[in-house]
Amino acid sequence: MIQKKICLLGASSVGKTSLVQQFVEGIFNEKYLTTIGVKVDRKTLPIANQEINFMLWDMEGNDSYNVFQERYLRGAAGYIIVVDQTRASSLHEGLDIHTLAQQVTNCPAILAINKNDLPATWHLDDSENESYKKLFDLQFSTSAKTGSNVEEMFLALAKLLVRFEKNDITT
Amino acid sequence: MTSLLNTVSNALEQIILEVTDTNTGTVTWLDGDSAWASDLFPQSNNQFSFIINSDTPFLFDFLIDAKLIWRQAENGKLRSGLWTEVTHNNKELHLEAIAIRQEQRNLLIISNQQESFTHQQKTKQSAREVLLSYDRLFLKNEYLHTRLLSILKQPAAQNNNIIATTSKVIENAEFAVIITSSDFTTSIENSAALRLFEQNKAVSTQQSRPIDIIITLMKNQLPEYERLLLTHSSWNGELCWILPPSTLKWLKIGFYPVKNKLNEVENWIIFANDISTIKHLVQRNEQLALQDMLTELPNRFSFWQVLEKHIAAKRAFYLLYLDINEFRRHNEFYGHDEGDKLLIELSKRINTAVKASDFLARVGGDEFAIILNNIDSQIACKTAIERIIKNINKPFYTSKSESFNVSISIGAASFPNDAQSVEELMKFVDLSAYNGKQKKKNSIQFYSQSMKDVSHSVILIEQELRQAIINNEFELYLQPIIDIKTNRINKAEALIRWNHPVKGIVNPDDFIPIAEKSGLIITIGEWVISQTCQMAKQISELGFELKISMNLSPAQVLDANLFKYLSTCIFDNQVNPRLLELEVTEGVLVDDYRVAEQLLSNIRALGLSISVDDFGTGYSSLSYLKKLPLDYLKIDRSFIKEIVTDDNDKAIVRAVIAMAHTLNLCVTAEGVETAEQLSFLVDNSCNSVQGYIFSRPLKFDNFIKLLNISSS
Repeated sequence: MIQKKICLLGASSVGKTSLVQQFVEGIFNEKYLTTIGVKVDRKTLPIANQEINFMLWDMEGNDSYNVFQERYLRGAAGYIIVVDQTRASSLHEGLDIHTLAQQVTNCPAILAINKNDLPATWHLDDSENESYKKLFDLQFSTSAKTGSNVEEMFLALAKLLVRFEKNDITT
Repeated sequence: MTSLLNTVSNALEQIILEVTDTNTGTVTWLDGDSAWASDLFPQSNNQFSFIINSDTPFLFDFLIDAKLIWRQAENGKLRSGLWTEVTHNNKELHLEAIAIRQEQRNLLIISNQQESFTHQQKTKQSAREVLLSYDRLFLKNEYLHTRLLSILKQPAAQNNNIIATTSKVIENAEFAVIITSSDFTTSIENSAALRLFEQNKAVSTQQSRPIDIIITLMKNQLPEYERLLLTHSSWNGELCWILPPSTLKWLKIGFYPVKNKLNEVENWIIFANDISTIKHLVQRNEQLALQDMLTELPNRFSFWQVLEKHIAAKRAFYLLYLDINEFRRHNEFYGHDEGDKLLIELSKRINTAVKASDFLARVGGDEFAIILNNIDSQIACKTAIERIIKNINKPFYTSKSESFNVSISIGAASFPNDAQSVEELMKFVDLSAYNGKQKKKNSIQFYSQSMKDVSHSVILIEQELRQAIINNEFELYLQPIIDIKTNRINKAEALIRWNHPVKGIVNPDDFIPIAEKSGLIITIGEWVISQTCQMAKQISELGFELKISMNLSPAQVLDANLFKYLSTCIFDNQVNPRLLELEVTEGVLVDDYRVAEQLLSNIRALGLSISVDDFGTGYSSLSYLKKLPLDYLKIDRSFIKEIVTDDNDKAIVRAVIAMAHTLNLCVTAEGVETAEQLSFLVDNSCNSVQGYIFSRPLKFDNFIKLLNISSS
């Protein structure tokens, strides 16, 4: 079984814990409960005749009360920058974290634009969409509440990592 | 494990492990045997020695950092930070590890931080809810503000219909929305406004309208209130409404003018949100009632209290009001996070420049107030300000290590020399900062009577300009531009003059800056465009092939309607766009590069040519010259004036001409007055010249006469 560390990063209150909960347990809790420190959850996914075990590092959101700590990214196979489509500021914060993360790792990164069950207060126009596509390996519009694209996002990441693994072996 | 130390460890909810092999993560259990510890390390199986493995991934990862401590010679320790571990029997443990190197021994302490975790979660939960509320409030206000502003700016006829359709939106808003006329007579107020400002009928016999309450609070709590009204500025901030015996509400107010083309206020839009709960949360959880959350400096209210105490103590001091020039532009360019970073860094730099006995507070978005104690002379105050400016002049850095500089405006007033009350002092210092403001330079402005007089005279000129637009008191003059090769007039620059009913002809230098600052330049600029189109058409109908150039002010370049207005004018007047040229200054091109590039490309596509005015006085940057769609450079008159005697000016003009020709741009020299100057320009391949040697700016009829003479 392949074991992979995946980090969930982003501003506070964007739904990182909810995405993990939806993916691991298939549940959503309406009440916002802020994460303190780090919590690691696990889930095994069957991909192309093999199993991949995700260790999901759900990190406390970054804001004036908690600064981003690069060291938690050590050994990560990939990371997901979660932003909230009802708060434009969360995109800016997410992009800043992405920039900091890229200084310590070159592992694949996903942009998850979360809360797609709520009306968006910002949109990416075509040119922005294009430029963000270049910044991230994958991009998803998700809802931890309805489960929209949550499983799909983690599956896509798993497939991407398996593909990377194969390339590593052959090269 | 029944020792006293073991009892203590259990009481402290911690276990102590000794690391016997840092490579494998093998540990021996020294002390502490709480049940949670066995749940955490089931692999220990109550054995004395065991290996920490990836079943506890966070701790396993922490061992990598811990090894650095354990392998060093000297004593040291490292904390892991809080983490949550779900045990094999599904219990959640909130833990922290500490790696210790002490007297050649390697220790690992793991403590159960349940209590600290609960406390932190409770505190941060509230704090983050506050941040979220602020975010949401901001968004809702922004959205409705933008929408209402666009509706209220429509012509009155369309306006009524749209207002009717949006009244539902206003009514349903969760916060108070009030729209008033310019004199604050209420036109619309929603139910939320009435609810928010509901007064106890048993106590107060006369009920005040929401707008009256807000205006009274602003008058009493905002020293800049009068300036806001005079300058038609918007304001965002907090007010405290106290109505004994039981009302105490914190209000977040948005106060926005809706201006017409003459820059007169037609309506005010006012939003009010009850943020008492947010304030309460902030106070309860962070004791930040008197502290600014971002910079951790005292906030506006704290400042107000301290200022009152200082005045009551009757000791001399100077009050400074400091704000960052073009902070809005910085935010737009680098983003709000970088803006916050700048505010934090700036506050630190100011703090290091003032004495411990002085008092610094953040009193608004990019505004800081400083009380300089025990200073009663302007010279001493200047020295203190220079220390601040020196600190601020050093470059700042973004998160991406890009360096940039900022400049500030400082207004200063002295107690008791300039004013004796808090309100007066704040009003004066605010007025000083506002008057001294320069775009790119640090400025210091001390309060003085003459400054007050100048400020009044500016307001007077602004009022007269408004009247001038209505009474059509402007006139366009044309100054010919001569092509050196053909020695004929091939172009003319349109120059505005103001026929003041009392003062006579007013020079543009005396009114254009005021028109710029007040926003009237847009309307005046539109008049210039329309007149120029008419003149160009008339001249071409008389059979002359002549370009007319007109000046665009920076505000016009940024005006989203400019291109539409210009193309409509060209179409309505049926004028060939190739007979028109726009002149922009260097500053506009550099400051608002993206907007300018887009606009100039569109204008060029329409058929107009573009020239850069006053070239050489500003940035003279080659990089934008290469990238922008330009046709002409106009060398500023200041270089031409001494061209015959000053070798530096000679060299500059030669270089500009050579550079322009390399970039396929033509060069016009302005302010040519003598035959010697002309001869130099001819010898150095300048393309065209403009100046008194040929003609002063002429009224339209006289210009036509000149054209007829020169063509015959």
